[in-house]
Amino acid sequence: MRREQTLADRITGSAVWRSVVRHGYPDTQRNQALIIASNVFLHIHPVKIKRYATKVTYTFCLGGLSFFMFLVLTMTGVLLMFYYVPSADLAYQSMKDIESSVTFGQLMRNMHRWSAQGMVIAVFLHMCRVFYTGSYKPPREFNWVIGVLLLVVTFLLSFTGYLLPWDQLALWAVTVGTNIGGAAPFVGEQVNMVLRGDFEIGQSALIRFYTLHVIFLPLAAAFLMAVHFWRIRKDGGISGPL
Amino acid sequence: MAEIAQQTPGGQGFTPIDEAKRQRLLELVRGRAMARPTDLAEDEVMVWPSLVVVEAVSAAVFLLILTVLSVMVNAPLTARANPNQTPNPSKAPWYFLNLQELLLHMNAGVAGVIIPTVALVGIAAIPYIDRSPLGVGILGTSAKGRRIIGFTFVYTTVVIVGMILLNEQSGRTVFGLAGFLQENLNTPELINYQILPVLIIVFWIGVLMALVQRLYRPTRREMVIALFTGFVAAFVVLTISGTSFRGEGQDLTWPWNLPLEHH
Ligand code: HEM
Repeated sequence: MRREQTLADRITGSAVWRSVVRHGYPDTQRNQALIIASNVFLHIHPVKIKRYATKVTYTFCLGGLSFFMFLVLTMTGVLLMFYYVPSADLAYQSMKDIESSVTFGQLMRNMHRWSAQGMVIAVFLHMCRVFYTGSYKPPREFNWVIGVLLLVVTFLLSFTGYLLPWDQLALWAVTVGTNIGGAAPFVGEQVNMVLRGDFEIGQSALIRFYTLHVIFLPLAAAFLMAVHFWRIRKDGGISGPL
Repeated sequence: MAEIAQQTPGGQGFTPIDEAKRQRLLELVRGRAMARPTDLAEDEVMVWPSLVVVEAVSAAVFLLILTVLSVMVNAPLTARANPNQTPNPSKAPWYFLNLQELLLHMNAGVAGVIIPTVALVGIAAIPYIDRSPLGVGILGTSAKGRRIIGFTFVYTTVVIVGMILLNEQSGRTVFGLAGFLQENLNTPELINYQILPVLIIVFWIGVLMALVQRLYRPTRREMVIALFTGFVAAFVVLTISGTSFRGEGQDLTWPWNLPLEHH
């Protein structure tokens, strides 16, 4: 006997719905496999994995958290970009505006700041997790090296963002930071000149840090993450006891 | 399996087969022809829902924590940047304060560039130094590995805290050795504040390796554990010293006497 069609049935049975969602409700293994395989975002995962790889006390979710914070940073960062002006004259005032007159501006700024700190910590701890579980061993050597590059990019992202509020904390932290870099043997002065575009930190440094922070380094990070995640799949998923 | 069993007995056009033969047929079918991508082995689970749920829940929990934190604590915004007013102390972002701490004790190029570069290259080289598959997937590899972690952490902390205090006593002159060498042998900066500090660091790493070797008879993996743990401990101790114990003029102070808040 045919069951009466509910509204939900009509919607999920419509041509529009079925052109978007190309599998049935995921309560059978077939549909559970299809939902992973037919969605470009979920397709980053295999259809099935080893049981130990889902154990929270193995990865402590740290790699996932690093990625999650990268996503939060991207979204809150785009919102901040609507208001922030990378000019030595206007930057500080635009920060003040974000905090006092932009709806949810202070919240966006706080979330951006705290997840940036969180990402540095999470990435570092993720490296420790990977190390102490011996997960860098063959065939994962190359992914470990990609990871080290990601660590460096994460530091640089955080450091370039540090200058943007153009307050005393920003100016002097970056002054100390670039002075450390400037002490490099042979190339220090040149590196510093490239970073600052001037003898001291001013407009040209700000625009360089800004461009690195909002375009170049996020793209570099995304590129490295793509390779990182791809390698995890190709190396047979998360490492586990032999 | 169930599908096959249903089809066979009494199905149209099928000759009923005896029990023994049916058993054999089932084995054959399960082994190869009907294997599907969704067939799960003993130790496997479906990513949907088993992994996706973990991811979704941890993302939600984390977003909640982050939101609550951001509602309660504001990001710092100090006075407008002023190149003519140097704060005392001036500090780099906290994750570079380990380098800034090192910088107090030796040549800036050595502390700020050479040591971190060597450390990063060394870390990147780990998988090419330790290639045995031993201990993969086990936190700390073995009971011995975990004891080495504990030992190295304590050793590194004691050595670094001791060195910071001693060097502070001598007015940051490499325990007075730099001054002594310069006065008596007229040695250049290159020796006093570059080569000498590096030799001291190498010495302590050497002592660590010798101790671990004697005490634990480690495998190569376990020796690498000692070295990596030494790095992590040094990073942590130097960062804490740089963030929480360096006040005006980068002199040692208690955290509660620090003049400026840093985030
Ligand atoms: C932005 C930075 C990073 C992101 C977003 C990231 C993300 C991830 C994710 C999601 C995983 C899956 C397992 C897990 O969650 O632990 C993973 C695994 C891995 N990561 Fe990272 N990672 C980052 C940085 C690093 C660093 C700094 C290293 C090492 C120096 C590293 C080395 C590895 C290796 C070797 C694996 C495979 C681990 C295994 O098979 O158990 N990653 N990463």
